[in-house]
Formats: sequence, C-alpha cells, structure tokens
Amino acid sequence: MSVLPHRRSATRSLRDDGWAGVLFALPHFALFTVFVLAPVVYGFYISLHRWHILAKTHPLIGLGNYGAALSDDVFRIALWNTVYFVVLVVPVGNLVSLLLALGLAGVRRFQTFYKISYYLPVVISIAVVAVLWRWLYNTQIGLLNLYLEAVVGGLRSIGLPLPAFEPLPWLSNPSWVMPSIALLSIWWGAGGNMVLYLAGINNIPEDYHEAAVIDGANSWQRFWAVTWPLLRPTTLFCLVFSVLGAFQIFGQTYVLFAPGSGPARSGLTLALYMYQQGFSQYEIGYGAAIAYLLFALVLILTVIQFRLLSNRDDEPSQANRRTA
Amino acid sequence: MKKQRREFMRTPLNTPTRLRSCVLLLVFLSLLLTFGCTRSGDRNREGTDTGGKTVVDFWNGFTGPDGKMMERLVRRFQKENPDVSVRMQIIPWGTYYDKLTLSLAYGGAPEVFVVHAGRLAEFAAFDVLRPLDDLYAAAQPPVRAEQFAAVPWQASFYKERPMGLPLDVHPMGLYYNTRLFEKAGIVDAAGKAKPPADWDEFVQAARKLTKDTNEDGRTDQWGFVFTWQRTNFITFAAQFGGGILSPDGKSCAMDSPQTREALRRMHDLIYKYKVAPKPEGVDAWLAFRQGKAAMALEGLYMVTSLEEQKSLSFAGAPVPQFGPERGVWGGSHLLCQPREIAPGRAQAAWRLMRFLSQNSLSWAEGGQVPARVALRQSPKFAALPVQAQFARQLSHVRYDPLTPKINALFPFVDPAVEAVLLDLQTPEEATSDACRRIEQVLKRP
Repeated sequence: MSVLPHRRSATRSLRDDGWAGVLFALPHFALFTVFVLAPVVYGFYISLHRWHILAKTHPLIGLGNYGAALSDDVFRIALWNTVYFVVLVVPVGNLVSLLLALGLAGVRRFQTFYKISYYLPVVISIAVVAVLWRWLYNTQIGLLNLYLEAVVGGLRSIGLPLPAFEPLPWLSNPSWVMPSIALLSIWWGAGGNMVLYLAGINNIPEDYHEAAVIDGANSWQRFWAVTWPLLRPTTLFCLVFSVLGAFQIFGQTYVLFAPGSGPARSGLTLALYMYQQGFSQYEIGYGAAIAYLLFALVLILTVIQFRLLSNRDDEPSQANRRTA
Repeated sequence: MKKQRREFMRTPLNTPTRLRSCVLLLVFLSLLLTFGCTRSGDRNREGTDTGGKTVVDFWNGFTGPDGKMMERLVRRFQKENPDVSVRMQIIPWGTYYDKLTLSLAYGGAPEVFVVHAGRLAEFAAFDVLRPLDDLYAAAQPPVRAEQFAAVPWQASFYKERPMGLPLDVHPMGLYYNTRLFEKAGIVDAAGKAKPPADWDEFVQAARKLTKDTNEDGRTDQWGFVFTWQRTNFITFAAQFGGGILSPDGKSCAMDSPQTREALRRMHDLIYKYKVAPKPEGVDAWLAFRQGKAAMALEGLYMVTSLEEQKSLSFAGAPVPQFGPERGVWGGSHLLCQPREIAPGRAQAAWRLMRFLSQNSLSWAEGGQVPARVALRQSPKFAALPVQAQFARQLSHVRYDPLTPKINALFPFVDPAVEAVLLDLQTPEEATSDACRRIEQVLKRP
C-alpha cells in the first residue's frame, strides 16, 4: 500500500467527518468554555463550600449553603417578591405587547415610525430607564404625581365628588413598590414582544381572514377564531422568554433602591439577593447557592412551559385524527 | 479573475496549507486570550518605576470636596518627597470596599488605603492588614496613644495590635437653619438662633418650626427631618443606653428596653409630635438644604456642601441630649497597609501615612476633626465654626459596632429602623425580628 492514497483518504475522511466544522467552531467553543462553561461549573463548586472572598481556607460544607438558603427567611422574601413580579409583569406585559401589535398591524401609514417609537425603550440601558423612572415616580416632584394631581383637580373643579389628591407613594410604600417596578418594566420591554407578535400576525395568511369575512365574522370573531389560535406559537414563545427574563430581574431594583432594596425589602429580588450575598457580604459560596436555586427554579418552569408548548402543538393533529 | 476567485473559494479547506493556517490562527487566538488575561504594566518587585522613584498607590473614596483637599495634601507630599511617586485613586464609597476587598483577596492591593473604623475589624479578622507597631516604634518621635484622641486611637486596634493610623473623626451633629430659628423666635438673649440642648427643648423648637406656610392644610416646613436613618438610630440608641450589639459584641441588643425606647422616641417625632415628615418619598437632606426642614442630624462631612450654598444660613451644634447617656454616632478614616507589601515600598507608604496624619489640619477644613490632639487644640481649628462645635462631642463618639461581622448585620438593622419610622411595625416587632436574624449571623462561624 502506497502512502499517497492512504493520505488522500485521510483528508477525505477529515472533510467527511466534519472536522473542518469542528475547527471553525473551536474559537467560539474556547471562548464559551473560558467565559461560560468553566465559571458555571466553578460556581457550582464554590456553592458547596463556605467561601468568604478574604478567607484563606474554604471548608467543604456539601449542600449546607442550599439548606441555609431554604431556611433563610430573607431568601423567602426575595423569592416571593420575584414570583410576584413575574406574575405581574408576564401576563400584563404580554397583553400590552399583543394589543400594540394588533393596533400596529392595522396601521398603514407611518407604521415604521410607530414601530420604532414603541420599540425605542427596549434599546435603552436599564440603568438609564430606572434613573428616569425614579424621577417620574418621585412622590413630591415626580411628573406622574404632578399630572395625576392636575387631573384630579380638574375633575373636582367640574363638580365630580372626588377626594383631594394625595401624592401616591410609588416607590416608598412597600405595597406599591412591585407594581411600580412592573409598570416601569412593561414600558421598557413591551416593544420587544410587540415586534414578535407583529411578525406572527403578519405571517397569518390573508386567506383565512378573507374566508372569515365572507362567513360574516366581525372583527372580534376574526381575532378570536383566526388570529389568536394561529398566533399561539408566537404567544408561547413570548411567554416562555418573558418568564425567563422576569425571574432574573435585577437592574431595576438595583438602580432604584441599591443596598437596602426598598422599603421593608419590598424590592429585594432573588438575583439582587444573590448579588448582595456574593459581592456586598463577600459570601460567594452562599451567593452561588442562591444562583443555583434560581437556576433550578427557572429550569423547572421552562421544562413545564416547553411541555405545554409541545402538547398544544399535538392538539390539532389529534383532533384531525379523531375527525378522521 | 472572477473565475479565479470562485476557484479560490472552492478550494477545499482541508488541504494541508489551509489547515495549517487555520491551526496557526487558532494558536494565535488562544495566545491572545492567554496574554490578554494577564496583568499588564506590573511594576518590578522593588516597587520602583522607570524614573527610579518608589511608587505608592493610595486608594480612598473621597469623591466630594474632601477629595480636592486630599489631592492638595498629596501634591504637597510629592514636593517634599521627590523620590516617591504617589498614584491616588478616588473610588466612590459605594463600590470602594468591593474593589478593595477583591484586591486584597486576589492581588493588586494599593500600598496605602483608607478604611473606616467600623470596617477595620472585618479586614483585620481575615488577616489582610499589616500591623503597624514596628513602624510606630521606629518613627521619630514614636507614634503614641497620647498624641491621638482616645476614641479613634482605640478603634484602630484589633486584638491589641494597631492596624490603621487614625486620620480623623467625623461625628454626627445638629445642623440647624438659623434664619428659620430666628423667624420662629427661638433665640438667645443676643437675638441669635439658639440650638436646643435637650429633648424637651428639641421637641418644643421642632413644634414651633413645623408650619403650614401656604395654608393648604399640608405641612410644608418641618421642624426636623431624618436623613440617614442608620446613624440617627445609632445616636438615639446610644443616648438611651442601647445599641445594635451588647458592649461585648456577642449578642444582639436591639430588643433591649433601652433601644426600643430610643426607637419609640424617633417614631414619636413623626407620629406623635408630628414635627418630622414620614420618610416616604422625601429627599430629606435636600429638604434641609431648601429650608423646608429646620433641623437635621448629619455627619460633619456634610459641612462643605452647605458652606458652598450661599443662600442657606445654617450653623452646627452638638446633638441635643435626648436621653440619660451621652453618645453620638461618628466615623473615622484610618490609613492602612496591606499584609502583602513589598518591603521597599512599606517605608515610602509609611512616610505618606505620617505626612497625611501630621498635616490633617487642612484636611479638617473638608469636614473632619483631626485625630491628633495637638492639631485639634490649635487656634486654626478653633476658627472652623461647625468643626469646632461638633468636636466638642469627641469623647463620646460611638462607631458602628466594631465587629468583623458588621457588614452582615446592617442588612437586618436598617430595615428594622425603617419599618418603625414608616409605622409598618412597632419597635417591639421590628427589633425582635431583627435580633432573631442578627443572632443567627453572630452564631455563624
């Protein structure tokens, strides 16, 4: 056997096995390993130790940090606040995005202008958004209270029996804090999902609508019987990603409240608590454990949502089978 | 030409030359990564830069007018010590300790840095500070206790070893708006604004100063305002014989009857006497600066910003005697060195520390009381009106509890005080809640 043919076959196999592809992927894989995979694994290792940044030794305590977090009532407060935020922001936020998209789909002139206008907040950094809204929310001199006062004053002057306006404690009363943060977050993020919904709506073939019109459907019936069911994949996609994003809420409360995390800890979220433990208390072992608990929670929810997604997709085919 | 290019693009990637260049590119990229992550511009081990000068890095958090004072002092030091090159870095206090902690843990710590008295124990307990006793003894004249005010001197020790050279003290004091006082008739025999000296006088004055000036049914001028709740609380608690921790630092004292009484008095100012606004959506310090609040308890470091505001007539006085004991919150800046310091640089760093300490009188103008007794007793210091008034309280200054765990305790102290002042919880509820958590932290190894 000569050497040459053998070599040729080796090069061929290299090509056929996709080694070239592997080589192309290597730079990304190297970066991914160094900056994502290794820290993720190392983070888990850290979470199994009592690990203060300044300490010379880091004793292994197994799942001790996890146990401590689950019995830590501040952790529970943070968990509750986070869940509350998700519950507030995901349904309402998606509804707002959907309504905006529906509205925009009907606009013929200046559609791009409106699209850009509604999308603009999405590209602003959360630090800027939070500082901006801190001023809007200011109880004494905030624009929101100023306008509300003017509106209430105006309604009273035309004889409506309204009580005198009391400045709303947007960010200073514990029970107002999360709804206020949710409002800010919806304003900030609604444009993102709006674009997705709009794309989903535009993907629905015009024929369906025409058929519905011929059948005499009004606009509500057309939405309910055509748009809504055909938009389901988009809706579920948006919901899954909204939930993922909402659970990781950090920037808003960090910028608005910083160390104390709001009156009576009403703005303390899991990501913020993790940050505080890791980078203010320097207990990075405990912080890492909180991060992994948050990860587990989000993972479970995502799996559940994906199950729902695939089940829903099965439904029409099952229905078809039944009718057949 | 076009054909050639197409041919080129079609050339299989896995021909040996192409493969080799790919591998080379990858090696180059990984080298880039490796070297990109190493520290650049590291000085040599003797700590000299190219000009033969000893480099001393100096970190602090003096971002306000005090930073300018410090810059001036450092420039003077440079002139007198041409063989040393000081590189001062001012990092906002909000992130200062994060950066300092990381540098002490993973390298890159400065040769001289500022630590607050309340945070010293935390760093000392982890053994990252260089004890200064040999430097104190070798100095000419040696550094000794009697040269310093007792409170900061004692606070600069950890396990009987000096860990930081006390630079200053910044006690809390009473700032009051003299124009509002005179308008309300709270004046002495000479017709000048008279600050209250005890609880009764304080409440009385605050009542007179709380007004609805435009008669819309809402108070728009307050007698008093809570600015930093934590330091206000430590002052009140100290005066009623309470505090965050017991004197030995081993148990929580927030649920003691004394601390609860202090919290009740603070609560009363808002809800019983109605002389202070509910701390809800109020920028308290701004309210004082705008003349919407007549009195506030704040640290001495606030004085320069008030002096810069020409429209405000104000004065400073010691905190009124609210309770049976004397006590007022204060802080101190200590100058420290890291445990890992090149021997060549430790001496130059020490020269800078001594210089700053000995010349801290001009530092005092930025809103401080010098820790050195001789400087405090100088006529130049007596001429600083607010500083001299606040300095009268030096003997009974209370720091944040001097425990290595202090940083882990405040997250439970602050919300408790806030809950009381917002009337969300009674002092009893808030403090038993806080103590339960504080005890947990204290029990942690």
